[in-house]
Amino acid sequence: MSTTAEPMTDDRPQPAPDRVRNVTVRGITARVSVRPGVGRHTHAPPLLLCNGIGLSLEGLQAFVDHLDPERGVVRFDVPGVGGSALPPMPYTIAALSSWVTAMMSRLGHRRFDVLGISWGGGLAQQLALQSPRKVRRVVLVATGTGMLMVPGSPEVLRIMSTPRRHRDPGYAAAVAGTIYGGTMRTDPVRGSALLHAATRAGPKRGYYYQLMAMTGWSSLPFLPLVRQPTLVVGGDDDPIIPVANPRMQARLIPRGRLHIYRGGHLALVTEADQLAPVVDAFLDENETHG
Amino acid sequence: MTTTEEEAAAAESSELSTPLDLLLADAGRNPVRRFVPGMSGIRFAAGLARRPQRVVKRTAGLGVELAKVGLGRSELAPAPKDRRWSDEAWAKNPLFRRTLQGYLAWGVAVRGLVDDAELDWGDGHRIGFIADNLVEAMAPTNNPVLNPKVLKRTLDTGGGNLLAGGRRLVRDFATAPRIPSMVEADAFAVGEDIAVTPGAVVLRTEVFELIQYTPQTPQVREVPLLIVPPTINKYYVIDLAAERSMVEHLVRSGLQVYCISWRNPDVRHAEWDLDTYGQAVLDALDAVEQISRQDKTALLGICSGGMITSMLMAHLAATDKLDRIAAYSLMVTVLDQERAGITSALLSHKAAAASTRASAEKGYLDGRVLAEVFAWLRPNDLIWNYWVNNYLMGHAPKAFDILFWNADSVRMSAGMHRDFMDLAIRNALVEPKASTMLGSPVDLGTVTTDSYVVAGIADHICQWESCYATTQLLGGTSKFVLSTSGHIAAMVNPPGNPKANFRTAEQNPPEAQDWLAGAHQVPGSWWDDYAGWLAERCGGERGKPRRLGSAQHEPLCEAPGTYVHDR
Repeated sequence: MSTTAEPMTDDRPQPAPDRVRNVTVRGITARVSVRPGVGRHTHAPPLLLCNGIGLSLEGLQAFVDHLDPERGVVRFDVPGVGGSALPPMPYTIAALSSWVTAMMSRLGHRRFDVLGISWGGGLAQQLALQSPRKVRRVVLVATGTGMLMVPGSPEVLRIMSTPRRHRDPGYAAAVAGTIYGGTMRTDPVRGSALLHAATRAGPKRGYYYQLMAMTGWSSLPFLPLVRQPTLVVGGDDDPIIPVANPRMQARLIPRGRLHIYRGGHLALVTEADQLAPVVDAFLDENETHG
Repeated sequence: MTTTEEEAAAAESSELSTPLDLLLADAGRNPVRRFVPGMSGIRFAAGLARRPQRVVKRTAGLGVELAKVGLGRSELAPAPKDRRWSDEAWAKNPLFRRTLQGYLAWGVAVRGLVDDAELDWGDGHRIGFIADNLVEAMAPTNNPVLNPKVLKRTLDTGGGNLLAGGRRLVRDFATAPRIPSMVEADAFAVGEDIAVTPGAVVLRTEVFELIQYTPQTPQVREVPLLIVPPTINKYYVIDLAAERSMVEHLVRSGLQVYCISWRNPDVRHAEWDLDTYGQAVLDALDAVEQISRQDKTALLGICSGGMITSMLMAHLAATDKLDRIAAYSLMVTVLDQERAGITSALLSHKAAAASTRASAEKGYLDGRVLAEVFAWLRPNDLIWNYWVNNYLMGHAPKAFDILFWNADSVRMSAGMHRDFMDLAIRNALVEPKASTMLGSPVDLGTVTTDSYVVAGIADHICQWESCYATTQLLGGTSKFVLSTSGHIAAMVNPPGNPKANFRTAEQNPPEAQDWLAGAHQVPGSWWDDYAGWLAERCGGERGKPRRLGSAQHEPLCEAPGTYVHDR
């Protein structure tokens, strides 16, 4: 049964309320927001969202609001970001991935789908590889393959190398068009608002830990080993992730599928109304195997 | 040792012996500075150099005492209440007894030298602090090789305690605050077993979430109560575990309770100042009036929240809106910061200016630094105790809700820090119109609302005498209540503790000590007395509201909301 997004009508099912809570996993307290699945999705695996670098879970609100209201959604702040405690020392993507699966078990989800955007896409690829039995389906949005990828322009990488845009709204508005592309070029204030409206700033060290985790990491050699059905979503005007990257990922992942949209790096949130239905449709496809 | 005793000890150990403004000034700067003797050190050395015969006498005295210790004839013994030496080995084993007595003799000599230098009050305070810290750090109990308890445990576990302790040490010191953790990160979970009184967030702004608690009685008082918690920690000190929650107690007494949960400000909110917080309370007040369909509200301010509400009360008085407040309560709040003339000795303009500069540069004052400053004020209770327990014994610290709350620190915006320091330095709330709130000059004498003022007799942060001065500042009729215990345990005072009592009096003479002389003691917790006092002023009874919030303020999420989870 495949659903497409129906138009907003009053008889649409109501989503369960999101509940923010703290869970402590392996000694690190993380802020988590859980929207339980209801209706058709009561017992379906929830969708775990892995956010971009330095962004707290509020940043994905627009996307969650446009998802199927019955779908269960789990969002979390990566340790050292937003409302989660700073880990005692730098971590690797593999360690974080194992920590995230422990967190999901703690929340009572043995199986789940995962969607990663940008930096979180790296985490999502690692999760897919490391926990093939726990992760059912994978959605990669505006993300690369780590160190071995087609890089963005040096200027973009320079801006990305510090968390300043998350801490200084004026600066964010000034650089939003350059680094995020898409509708941010015409409306940079929106980008600034997106990064600042409700998000929680974590310590700078948390951002650098995230950067360090990606240092030396690449999924490129392992993509052929990803077993899950995977939807690769990318924008044709994304300065951070040139469009060659999603094309390459979709080609390398055996059960990969490609969806290219017109837009920039953050379209998942800024144009959520267009992209959420695509994600929903993919996740709801009939599973051909258990 | 029974659990209540342990709790009392833990509660006591979360009490600190320095006024709030000093802590804030200290935390604004590098805490290490406290350990640098600086000019005080030079004056200390000079003081000793001028009195060589005393130094000789001290040293000789120490030599004689150490000789006695060596021969086993020394009478030195630790204070009976000092739990560090509870192990039998300290009394029975000749080697350990000599170690202990040698340490005590040395400690007496070091502290004696500080007295010998005859420093003035400020220098004496500073050098005394350093000497105390040095003596306490050198205690043989802190040394894994000299602590019999640790040696026994190492034998029992084959060194496992040191491995576990080493892991804890690395974990604790990798991130601020760099002090031993007093409680496990997962000892409690906010919203699961702490801050669990049912309710809903009915308003969320940039600055705060407003929680409306679900009535638990069929009838409620018409006039609602709005609680303004401290801005220096999370709000849930008034909603700890079930049966230890003041909010729960008030709800069960038939009141409609609303509480503000402050957002934990970060670098983007540097400019939030007293006016921002005053306006926030005003916004909350509007929402409470709208939801409860009342034109009056009872207002309760706690600690720094009490300072904000007091200034706001003066603003309401200045704008002829004081009739919006049915009753006014202050808990452990100091408005008059004159401590018998020692403010100037301790909190210099220079220190205050330096600390506000530091926070202005950073955008906020980090609560974790404040926690470090706190801990080093009472190193025996708050550092070495946990040093031995966590790292040498390899035990997890005990789960205790107040300590969990205490460890859940928040930041303070630079603007707020600046305004606070300014109020403290000028002691501006005492003088009519010396400060402003939302554009109105603050004159506490114009606040003619009935007030209920609570203080803790052993409170080191907000001394009860200073809290008492509030009754002389406010223009209305004040009821002053002096609870047992200190800053936090005075607040968390659930009924049912047989040892709890409070004092109150009919008259409020100008001097706190006169008040104490005329006060009578009432057994039990003041919570019940307070609920009764509120009931008299919160109108008649009506059926409880059918739902939380209103059409204008739909419930957004369940209590405790989202801001409480921000780190």
